[in-house]
Amino acid sequence: MGFIEILYAETRFVWAGLLRRKSALFTALLYPYILTAFVILVGSTMGSPQLFVVRVGIEPVPFFIVSSFMLMSIMGVVDDIFWKPLFDEFMGTLPYVIASPVDRVLYFVALPLPRLIIVLFIGLSSVLPVMIMYYGVAGVYEAVVVMLLAGFGALVFATLAMCITGALYIAGGETWRSLNVIRPLLMVLLGVFYPRWLMPLTAQYLSWALPPSHVVEAVHRMLAETTGNAVQYFVLLGVATALAILYAPIGSTSIRAWERKKLREGISV
Amino acid sequence: MAKAIVAKNVVKRYITRVRKGLVRSVKKIIEALRGVSFEVRHGEVVGLLGPNGAGKTTAVKIIATLLLPDDGEVYVEGFDVVREANEVRKRIGLLLSVEKGFYGKLTGRENLEYFGALYGIPRSVLRRRIDELMKLLELDKLGASSRLYEEYSLGMKARLGLARALLKDPPILLLDEPTLGLDPPSARKIRSVVKELARNGKAVLYTTHNMFEAEIVCDRILLINRGKIVAEGSPEELKSKIPQMRTVVVYVRGFNPNDVERVAELVGVKPSLGIDEEGFAMLKFQVRKPEEVLNDIVKGIAKLGCEIARLRIEEPTLEDVFLYFASR
Repeated sequence: MGFIEILYAETRFVWAGLLRRKSALFTALLYPYILTAFVILVGSTMGSPQLFVVRVGIEPVPFFIVSSFMLMSIMGVVDDIFWKPLFDEFMGTLPYVIASPVDRVLYFVALPLPRLIIVLFIGLSSVLPVMIMYYGVAGVYEAVVVMLLAGFGALVFATLAMCITGALYIAGGETWRSLNVIRPLLMVLLGVFYPRWLMPLTAQYLSWALPPSHVVEAVHRMLAETTGNAVQYFVLLGVATALAILYAPIGSTSIRAWERKKLREGISV
Repeated sequence: MAKAIVAKNVVKRYITRVRKGLVRSVKKIIEALRGVSFEVRHGEVVGLLGPNGAGKTTAVKIIATLLLPDDGEVYVEGFDVVREANEVRKRIGLLLSVEKGFYGKLTGRENLEYFGALYGIPRSVLRRRIDELMKLLELDKLGASSRLYEEYSLGMKARLGLARALLKDPPILLLDEPTLGLDPPSARKIRSVVKELARNGKAVLYTTHNMFEAEIVCDRILLINRGKIVAEGSPEELKSKIPQMRTVVVYVRGFNPNDVERVAELVGVKPSLGIDEEGFAMLKFQVRKPEEVLNDIVKGIAKLGCEIARLRIEEPTLEDVFLYFASR
């Protein structure tokens, strides 16, 4: 069974569900603005926007709008991969998913794509207007690049997310608790709200292991215009791709090991 | 009939941990299946009948490739459930629980489309197939197509579950208590569809607690208890296997209750005495072969000067069979 069929199934599932949850759709549209307002208000208590520009080299509003949008895109993918097995177990659909002749790795790769497409379109209502406001017509170009890179950043995280998902589910116990600890850690280490070049060294090392953190850095550098050298962007994107490829066999093994464990222990109905 | 499912000496143990104190826990092994062997052929409904925890669902899960056996072999149309799981998955339709197993925020049709796509059914075929199944299970009449699954009644959920099991038109169906908790019309509908499917050549493995249902739906019954198949055969064969006595019930007019011992002497079997709604004395003789004592009963009662109003022989029910084997 091919990737297209799985993608079609997931698209039907996500779109039908989302269209019925209008409030969720509405919240998703507002989310980049809510996050930006939250961060800027919190940030204002600790320093001025001017200080932020001095330290980071970017205006706070476009920085946080872009960062929020990237976070939504990347964590959306991670969440889909992290939570779907738990959700399926809760709904009682897991036995039927496992009993389908679907390649489990292809399934986990296809899982986040439909939601990612929706999230990327949300960039039209968040990143695009803000970028135009700040950078004029050039902002359109930057917004499109940000949206594309957000999608790319999200995709390169899929294989590592599979590694983590498999490992957590194999470890057993109350997986959702572990996920609730890992998610915020990932959010910090991605460097979306706190640029990597400002992180402590240990955090930087950890951050380098996350493929999308390099994409996030590329976007931040593009916004800060710290380099006119396109090679640096390509190096960052190349490292992200290489890491994603490196994690692919581990992710695949991890997911298959989880399934094997499930089959040994039995899937609750 | 060709063999659809072959299980040979299947063993499954669950390992659980029982906590002893704050830190220490002790491993506990539960033997869910202890060398189970059976066959299911195309064109028959085989019932898997047993008390709670007997191993019915474990057996179904192993055949459905949802659980790995610890020992033994299971083949589905010749494919090994462990080594050739994907081939097996293409050949089975599965219904595990009628209460859940679908996405609440999707309609029945959307749910079927989702699982149909996961099963790799081409879109044009899938649409037609869903229409057929909606009609067959009368889901269209209930408006299931456009209603969200979370708004379904239990009967509708069960029908949708069966529709999913039939979606890819599999040659083998595994149905785990498909009528549990259903209202009579829904249960009857599901039973009639299952029988019809078997007539059309499908192999059906059907677990149930309902003796009445097992008797009317199943061509053959496997009685499972504590992880072992304890008896196998058609409902009639199973009844004949138990040493349980048949009951000869004689309704007697003008019987003196003090004559029970006398009847026992004359017939050689002591009856139990009761009174029926019409006031007749009701003598119940538990005998192995009613035809051998019938004459003595009639003569004995006549000797007491009583008149027999009517007489009937009660065969053991499947419930008796179930209880007999479950208690062994």
